[in-house]
Amino acid sequence: MSALHAIELTLDEEQRDCYQEITNVAMGQAADLLARLLNVYVILPIPNVNLLEVTELQMALSELENSQSVSAVCQGFIGAGISGEALLIFNDASFEDIARLMDFEGEVDDSSEVELLTDVASILNGACLNGIAQQLDVNFSLGHPVVLGQHCSISELVKAENKQWKKALAIEINYHIKDYDIDCDLLLLFTEDSLLSLNHRISFLL
Amino acid sequence: MATPILICDDSNFARKQMARALPKNWEVEITFAENGEVGLEAIRAGKGEVVFLDLTMPVLDGYGVLEAIKANDLPAMVIVVSGDIQPEAQERVKKLGAMDFIKKPTDNEKITQVLTQFGILES
Repeated sequence: MSALHAIELTLDEEQRDCYQEITNVAMGQAADLLARLLNVYVILPIPNVNLLEVTELQMALSELENSQSVSAVCQGFIGAGISGEALLIFNDASFEDIARLMDFEGEVDDSSEVELLTDVASILNGACLNGIAQQLDVNFSLGHPVVLGQHCSISELVKAENKQWKKALAIEINYHIKDYDIDCDLLLLFTEDSLLSLNHRISFLL
Repeated sequence: MATPILICDDSNFARKQMARALPKNWEVEITFAENGEVGLEAIRAGKGEVVFLDLTMPVLDGYGVLEAIKANDLPAMVIVVSGDIQPEAQERVKKLGAMDFIKKPTDNEKITQVLTQFGILES
C-alpha cells in the first residue's frame, strides 16, 4: 500500500482525452439500448472526465442538479484491479415520464419509484460499464443496485456515499431523453487505487 | 495520386485511432480537424474528398457539417464514425446525405469493407 501511495496520481491531457472517448463510445451503447427499449432518442453530451479530490466531489455533484429533489442508486463494480461505484442520480420530476415510457400501470408511489430506478440503473450502468470494460479488454463484476436515497438533496446523498477515498477518477454523463422530462446523471467513480491499472490498460490504446 | 482524407473528431485519441484504422495500401493525404467548423474549412479547401466524421463535437457538430455540405453542394463523401449509435442518429445522418454509418470503436476491417463497398478502394 505504501509504495502505491508514494506515487503521485495524475491524469495528463492525453489520458483524459482517451477516457473521454472510451466513455463516449460506452455511453452511446447504453443510450442505444435505452432508445430501442423505450422507443425514444437519448440526447448525448460530451462526457466530463476529472481526477477529483473527494472533497471536490460534493461540489461536482451540486453542479449536476440545482438543489432539486433527487433520487439515486449506486452500484459497485470490480475487476482486473479496477473498482468503483456507479452512481445514477435522477431528478424526481423524471419519474412520471419514466413510468409512462416503461408502461408502468397504477399509481407511482415510493416503492414503484425504487423499482423504476433500479430497472433503469441496471440498463444504463450495466451497458455503460460493459462498454468501458470491453474497450479496456477487462471484465467487471457488478453488485446489486442499492438505493442511496429518495427525494433528498445532493448534500444528503454525498453523506451517504462518503467512502474512505482521497481521490477518485470521476466520469460524469448526463442523459436527457428527447421530448420527455427525463433527466439523469450517471457518475462513474473509480477508486484511486484503480488508476494505476486503468492507466496501464489505456497505455495499450494510446 | 493520393486521396485527400479528412478525419474530423474532437478527440485526439479518436483521430489517431481512425488514422490507424485506414487501409495500409491506400495512398492518402490526411488532414485532421477537431471540430465541425475547422472540418468544413478543410472540405472547402479540397482536403476532404473522403471525410470520416464524428457527430458529437463542440463548435459545430457532425449534423451541422452534413447540413452545410448539403446546402453548399460541397464535394465530399462522408462516412459518419460515431459513438451515438441510436437508430434515430443513423437515420438522421443518412437523410442528411452521409454515405454510411460506422459504429465506434472502429477497426481496419470495417473501414476497408465500407471503402470497398462504395468503390472508393479497389478490391
